Amino acid sequence: MSSKLYKNMKLGFFVSTGMALLILLLYFIGKNRNLFGSNFVLKARFENVQGLKDGNNVRYAGIDVGSVSKIKFINDTVVEVFMNIENKMKKIIRKNALVSIGTDGLVGNKVVNISSIRKQSPLVQENDVLITRKPIDTDDMLRTLFKTNNDIAIIAENLKQTIMQINESTALWNFLKDDFVPKKLHSFVFNLDVASKKTNLILDDAKIAIDKITNGSGTISTLLYDTVLSNDLRNIVKNINNAGSQADELARKINILTNKIDADINQGYGPIHALLKDSTIVHSINRSMNNIEKATDRFNIYMEALKHNFLFRGYFKKIEKNK
Amino acid sequence: MQNSIRSKTFFNEVGNTSKFIGNFFARFLQPPYEIQEIFKQCYIIGYKSLPLVGLTGFIMGLVLTMQLRPFMIDYGVESQLPAIVGIAIIREIGPVITALIFAGKIGSSIGAELGSMKVTEQIDAMEVSGTNPFKYLVISRVLATTLMLPILIILSDAISLYGSYLGVNIKGSISFNFFWTQIFESLEFRDVIPAYIKTYFFGFAVGIIGCYKGYNSNKGTEGVGSSANAAVVVSSVMIFILDLLAVQISDLLGFN
Amino acid sequence: MNEIENKNIVILEISNLKKSFGEINVLDGFNLTLHKGENIVVLGKSGSGKSVLIKCLVGLLKPDSGKIKIFNKDINNQSAIELDKIRSKIGFLFQSNALYDSMTVKENLEFPLRRHWIKINQLEIDKMILQALYDVGLTHTLNMMPIELSGGMRKRIAIARTLILKPEIILYDEPTTGLDPITGKEIIKLMIEIKNKYNTGSLIISHDMNCVKLASDKVAVLIDGKCFAFGNYQELKLNTNPLVKQFFE
Repeated sequence: MSSKLYKNMKLGFFVSTGMALLILLLYFIGKNRNLFGSNFVLKARFENVQGLKDGNNVRYAGIDVGSVSKIKFINDTVVEVFMNIENKMKKIIRKNALVSIGTDGLVGNKVVNISSIRKQSPLVQENDVLITRKPIDTDDMLRTLFKTNNDIAIIAENLKQTIMQINESTALWNFLKDDFVPKKLHSFVFNLDVASKKTNLILDDAKIAIDKITNGSGTISTLLYDTVLSNDLRNIVKNINNAGSQADELARKINILTNKIDADINQGYGPIHALLKDSTIVHSINRSMNNIEKATDRFNIYMEALKHNFLFRGYFKKIEKNK
Repeated sequence: MQNSIRSKTFFNEVGNTSKFIGNFFARFLQPPYEIQEIFKQCYIIGYKSLPLVGLTGFIMGLVLTMQLRPFMIDYGVESQLPAIVGIAIIREIGPVITALIFAGKIGSSIGAELGSMKVTEQIDAMEVSGTNPFKYLVISRVLATTLMLPILIILSDAISLYGSYLGVNIKGSISFNFFWTQIFESLEFRDVIPAYIKTYFFGFAVGIIGCYKGYNSNKGTEGVGSSANAAVVVSSVMIFILDLLAVQISDLLGFN
Repeated sequence: MNEIENKNIVILEISNLKKSFGEINVLDGFNLTLHKGENIVVLGKSGSGKSVLIKCLVGLLKPDSGKIKIFNKDINNQSAIELDKIRSKIGFLFQSNALYDSMTVKENLEFPLRRHWIKINQLEIDKMILQALYDVGLTHTLNMMPIELSGGMRKRIAIARTLILKPEIILYDEPTTGLDPITGKEIIKLMIEIKNKYNTGSLIISHDMNCVKLASDKVAVLIDGKCFAFGNYQELKLNTNPLVKQFFE
């Protein structure tokens, strides 16, 4: 009898294990389809549901929260999709959430995506109809993708040609390789240095001359009777002053520029960089030199005029004698 | 001439089997019920078949997975391996292979047992002892096969899915949880329910054909052997025919 | 039990029994009467329809025509339940013993007792099993399987199983066939013992002359589906008909 009991127990164990597995299997499938547990219904209206079927998943932020329970026609252009959503989502989904139909993977099942639009709105309620976004049609997507691909191909082709041309152009490479340009630059800067030193000397001379005139103003003014002449003389002196300050300014600018060029070259900027700077440098240096030249010419003229003036003749002679 | 005799025997056999099945349904609800014998047969037919069915199920799941894997990788859908194997096992391979193994083990044993009981007059002895041998032998066995095969198939499915899990993990790596999630995600009621219902018919076919062949065994040891053999062959073929019917019916009902 | 009283009680009456399989008339108007406490041996060649006869008696085969009355009840007109009740009073020893291979000796003996309409408690069942095994002298085999036993032992167990419901009629189908002569004699002795102990009426199908000689009160010779000759062993031995004589040579 006890062996019979034992056998019956084993049979019971066998049967209950099998039944439990079956129930578990059915339960899990049911759970995935949201048949058990409490749900609420949300609706959305589409023009095209693209093969969405009963039982397809509904996702919120990419997480399965329910399934499609029913799809029905409202009229000839609108299809209404009923979704069973887990009750806990009532506290999360808002009335202004956006519903769209997507695909699980490129060729997978259709899914309904609910997404938040990040704006304040009350929470959803049972049987709410949510706003929909026109679903992304895989066909459209592929078509666009195809066009984009073609464009990219064309661009790549062009780019290829450009690079080939650059590669084939020996002139550019020669230019880049050539060490003639930096050398030239060097000699130019050296010349500039010499020029500015000379200018300094000239300006020193001019200063001495003008100082002397200023110091001797008392004597000169007493010598001056003719107001017209005296006015002329005043103008002349003013001009000389101007010319001096202009020359000063120029010298300063030249100095800065030279420093800059010096720094550039010392820091080892490449030939292209130097080249870029080149035109402006040359230009401005040219201008400065012209200005300096003009200023010095005019100064010379004024000085000559002073020398020839009978009032200053004696003074100049005295200077010459002192020398 | 030969053909006409053959077809006569065939239709005779079909007719007799149908009568036998009719007898089964006419009597199985009539008292007395051989409850003890039904339990005993359930134990022998169900519980005792579990090791064999479990082993074949395990190997089936493992091999199927290992065979499918390279092709899944070639097509870049390796991640779908659990889903594919799960659907294949639950819908088709589990029920049919298990039923075939079951037909081989139980169909032949019923055929041989009843055949030898017939030959050695044990069936007559039962009838004389005031026991309806049809109820005692046939109904108990057919009920046992009908009720036990679905359970065996469920267990076999579970074991072969476990085998498949190991198969996936031989070369790849997948967590136990994720494997089952994948399978349950891909399964639907329409995969499970028809597959489960058809197993009852498989079990019934194995039981009733084994009993019919044994019950109508010819005299002699050769008769016993041939009835055991015929029980296996006919019930295996029946399983495939029923499977075909099942897929057509579930298709008509929109389950596919 | 009074010998004369016994002789008057008819427990089995077969009249004009006919049974045919296709074209062959196996039984063709067979008549026989069995009284309480009487052993009748039905003697016939192989294939003469002896087994068919006793299978008709317990309703395993349906006769084409003729009447079988057991305890004055026509067994062909009984409901299944009534037939079962009549059967419970008939012991049937099959030629091949028909022990249930899947059961132990104890379960084999228990089987006829465990019918739904017999209400006996376990203690009584165990007692009856032991009694039956004691009668055939095999109490030690209680928990063995039939396959473990020798041919003679199996025959004894089969006899024990037929005895367990205390039958009033025992039908022996070739009880000594397939046994060596010594074991056969033991079985015959056992049959006589049973008759004396339980006062049963027995119908013994046999072609074994030892059995006919030792166990029979009366002998019926079955030839061409009919009870060709009837009488005790000594009478028939003197019968001059060549058809009867061939059995006794």
